[in-house]
Amino acid sequence: MAQDSVDLSCDYQFWMQKLSVWDQASTLGTQQDTCVHLARFQEFLRKMYEALKEMDSNTIFERFPTIDQLLAKACWNPFILAYDESQKILIWCLCCLINKEPQNSRQSKLNSWVQGVLSHILSALRFDKEVALFTQGLGYAPIDYYPGLLKNMVLSLASELRENHLNGFNTQRRMTPERLASLSRVCVPLITLPDVDPLVEALLVCHGHEPQEILQPEFFEAVNEAILLKKISLPMSAVVCLWLRHLPSLEKAMLHLFEKLISSERNCLRRIECFIKDSSLPQAACHPAIFRVVDEMFRCALLETDGAPEIIATIQVFTQCFLEALEKENKQLRFALKTYFPYTSPSLAMVLLQDPQDVPRGCWLQTLKHISELLREAVEDQTHGSRGGPLESWFLFIHFGGWAEMVAEQLLRSAAEPPAALLWLLAFYYSPHDGRQQRAQTMMAYVVAPCRRGDLQPCGQRHSPPTEVARDRTPHVAHCPKRRPFLPEVV
Amino acid sequence: MESLLQHLDRFSELLAVSRTAHVRTWDPVTVRRALQWARYLRHIHRRFGRHGPIRTALERRLHNQWRQEGGFGRGPVPGLANFQALGHCDVLLSLRLLENQALGDAARHHLVQQLFPGPGVPDADEETLQESLARLARCGSAVHMLRFNGYRKNLNLQEDSLMKTQADLLLERLQEVGTAEAEGPARFLSSLWERLPQNNFLKVIAVALLQPPLSPRPQEESEPSIHKTPGEGSQALVHWLLGNSEVFAAFCRALPAGLLTLVTSRHPALSPVYLGLLTDWGQRLHYDLQKGIWVGTESQDVPWEELHNRFQSLCQAPPPLKDKVLTALETCKAQDGDFEVPGLSIWTDLLLALRSGAFRKRQVLGLSPGLSSV
Repeated sequence: MAQDSVDLSCDYQFWMQKLSVWDQASTLGTQQDTCVHLARFQEFLRKMYEALKEMDSNTIFERFPTIDQLLAKACWNPFILAYDESQKILIWCLCCLINKEPQNSRQSKLNSWVQGVLSHILSALRFDKEVALFTQGLGYAPIDYYPGLLKNMVLSLASELRENHLNGFNTQRRMTPERLASLSRVCVPLITLPDVDPLVEALLVCHGHEPQEILQPEFFEAVNEAILLKKISLPMSAVVCLWLRHLPSLEKAMLHLFEKLISSERNCLRRIECFIKDSSLPQAACHPAIFRVVDEMFRCALLETDGAPEIIATIQVFTQCFLEALEKENKQLRFALKTYFPYTSPSLAMVLLQDPQDVPRGCWLQTLKHISELLREAVEDQTHGSRGGPLESWFLFIHFGGWAEMVAEQLLRSAAEPPAALLWLLAFYYSPHDGRQQRAQTMMAYVVAPCRRGDLQPCGQRHSPPTEVARDRTPHVAHCPKRRPFLPEVV
Repeated sequence: MESLLQHLDRFSELLAVSRTAHVRTWDPVTVRRALQWARYLRHIHRRFGRHGPIRTALERRLHNQWRQEGGFGRGPVPGLANFQALGHCDVLLSLRLLENQALGDAARHHLVQQLFPGPGVPDADEETLQESLARLARCGSAVHMLRFNGYRKNLNLQEDSLMKTQADLLLERLQEVGTAEAEGPARFLSSLWERLPQNNFLKVIAVALLQPPLSPRPQEESEPSIHKTPGEGSQALVHWLLGNSEVFAAFCRALPAGLLTLVTSRHPALSPVYLGLLTDWGQRLHYDLQKGIWVGTESQDVPWEELHNRFQSLCQAPPPLKDKVLTALETCKAQDGDFEVPGLSIWTDLLLALRSGAFRKRQVLGLSPGLSSV
């Protein structure tokens, strides 16, 4: 408790100074700085309120003699008033200053002053005298028309942005970069206000004609934060634009997904799928640039965790969702497969991207042999690979859990001698790093084990059939109708 | 029903008093009761929004009150003007009380407690008063920030957001006033003309005349049968302008040529009067031989450039209007003696200027210099 109050006093000094510098946030510098600190300031206000509400007015002034100045300065900063719940918390803090039973004129005056400040916060900062006179003359109060005025201003700005975007060559009607940047700054506190959505969307979608990015990074960060916390709902096109224009936002979105997956205790496939679909990343990944970044992050995660099965499962679910989303895309606007997998041979990409369930049972062996051939070619041909041959091919292969599963099923079901191609695939799936000789040994070991018993026993180690393992570990999986990512149990 | 109307009356009185020094006598109980009444009326608004007869009765009562208390004439309106205002009458009352420094200490403390109880369970059903007030503050800041950091006055006034908002409000009021009584709009507009800054008022009228027809407010749960067809407001405006020549002269003088052309195209009833005015203005000019230009005799006479500007703009309007204008000019020219030589009749000179202007325009556009339609 004592530590809390010491912290509060330190914070108090810090924010007092900040507010003095910011003043009414009318310059570029003060606006930027205010935007960056909005969330923290709100937290500070909450802590202050928790402290203030326990005290009476006199005690408050003994503890914080300049509290009235601090609160007043905050009230004069429109960015603070516009942000989230700051205006409410400010009001609550001010209410704490009121003396229930004023003993002298000074206390009475203080009460009056607080009333005045509250009124100021709510008086909707009138600007144009003429407009105010007109509306008053008609018998309207600000509460009557401010929502309509906001809507008109937002729509007008959004259409101006769109026009700016389309009329590239008409320099007279261009929006200056300063104005665009200013607008994006002003939107930062307003992002969670639904009336402002059309403007936010227009800012994201309508990029200007300058070669470098004009909009402030604080704006992108604020929008991304709001999207991740579900505090704003924007169309997919706007989200894609955000992630294309501001890479840190895309990275943050991926990290947010990873965090959710890690923090959730038992991840069945259904839940993984929910998280992934919820994140909008599969739809966004239909744009190759986004897909590349996402894939790269998965790759890093895989390497960091030494091929953890959870990551592999996530990749497989993601790829499935991605392919579903791609299917729904407008056929004419679709990118070539090569753009998503630039380091893969087109034939391999095409055959892997098929839906395994579309392949008739009679053709399974043939298809798998073909995959095996192509992969083997890619792995053993060192001159082709632009980076780390076997690992890249393996990374590609594990995207598509359906095929590995098909291999296992084919091997288990067929009574005949297992074809080398399939054994190679299985060995490759488990141990991509093996040299040629090592892999050949592994394959021999698989052949030696009696497959009928449902065991695959390479060299003294016991393996349960992977599909049954999957069933044991994740009971929910049995009900997943469409696909079951192959969850290898790596011992 | 009667008790409801009485309740409404009493609340309106309350609202009027809330602005005066009389609140000095209020104690916490009075404040609480006032807020309760407001909450009750807000509830009524929600309940009877769809109910035709009750809503109409309330509207009529409010409109009468409003008119009697000075909505038509003498100053800022004390009370509620329409049914829609009932939806946030608690906010209105709260704001007025907060602004009133005459409030006593005990009453003030109680008011603030009632308005801002602090964090609590949000009401899923209806927005609390605290939330409404917070939202108003946020909305106000938003408008303020957009105004000073992004807004730029649109040179096409009819697309400017501030102008459009004012125009929407004017049309809405006119519609209500028109529903309540037939001669209402004309008297209302005249009273506004006397009270409000005139320049701004004229601009708002022009923008209002150019708005697309108002659709019956869909979010307001109103039945279309309660209000007359949209467009009534514009009709009332046109009617009033035609009936007040002094106002119309100021209207035509103050507004830019392009805007007037748009207005006259949209409302053909105005074109004969507009043309008549232009003709009058033209006839006041005489030719100064030394300077070689047309000048006026008095300082308030419309100069040649402006006259030419307006005719030029009119000639760029679509056909029905454009033809009328040209016919009028030709008629005037004929009446003057049908001269072809410049310097004798202003109508000849205007036509010459317009023709050569059109000729230059066709050259610039790369069209053949053949007989233009002028």
